[in-house]
Amino acid sequence: MVVNVWYIVFLLLAFLILLSALGVLFFRNPVYSALSLLANLCVTAVMYLTLMGAPFIAMIQIIVYAGAIVVFFLFVLMLMNLRKGEYEDRLVPWRALLGLGVGAVFAIQTFLLTGEWKGWVPSGSQGANVKAISHLIFTRYILAFELVSVLIFVAALGAVALAKKKL
Amino acid sequence: MVGVGLSQYTVLGVLVFLLGALGLVIRKNAIVMFLCLELMLNGVNILFMALARARGNVEGQVIVLFVMAVAAAEAAIGMAVITSFYRNRGGVDVDRADLMKW
Repeated sequence: MVVNVWYIVFLLLAFLILLSALGVLFFRNPVYSALSLLANLCVTAVMYLTLMGAPFIAMIQIIVYAGAIVVFFLFVLMLMNLRKGEYEDRLVPWRALLGLGVGAVFAIQTFLLTGEWKGWVPSGSQGANVKAISHLIFTRYILAFELVSVLIFVAALGAVALAKKKL
Repeated sequence: MVGVGLSQYTVLGVLVFLLGALGLVIRKNAIVMFLCLELMLNGVNILFMALARARGNVEGQVIVLFVMAVAAAEAAIGMAVITSFYRNRGGVDVDRADLMKW
């Protein structure tokens, strides 16, 4: 019996997703919870990209969720209960190793995207997906799309009005 | 691209949703409760994506985009509420919201 490689990929990604979800629940430190949610969203984006053939949603997931929303959560967290002493004196060498690892991952990604291993980029990322989605958004779901823009505008105004000390 | 069926994705999405719901119940920190809410939305997104893939069209992906936009709006409002709450109550534990408790 030949084991399907995509099934193994799915099992690995599902394990990582559930593990990071458990991390959101059970980390004592809320900052770790937020970082765990970040990991969860990124692994979900990888699953969208590799298994479901939806590169556009994967990119939007990274940009909007990981780039905007989780950073926003982290910002508010650090604004509020930053206990002194807990985040100091911890600049240990493994942070440098972590930075090196991130740089290596970035370099490998660049190499994969531009080098001769272009075939490793999953299929479906040639733009057909984006075309289909945008066609649907601007025809059948145009009303919902406009309403969502109004919703975000109102939410931004409401957030400013709520968080202001005195109006 | 084959071998992983709709049922596996469904199990995964439902599990993520349930973990988020569980976290919403067991945590007291309001911000972590918000994170768990995002987790629930992520589980729903997984379900939408799996159904879109199983049905062979991209309508589910469009809905996922809308869910993300609503999540962004919800995060903005929620963080503003929590900031105001923190300023008035001196903490973000939901136990401090006891004004209407008797």
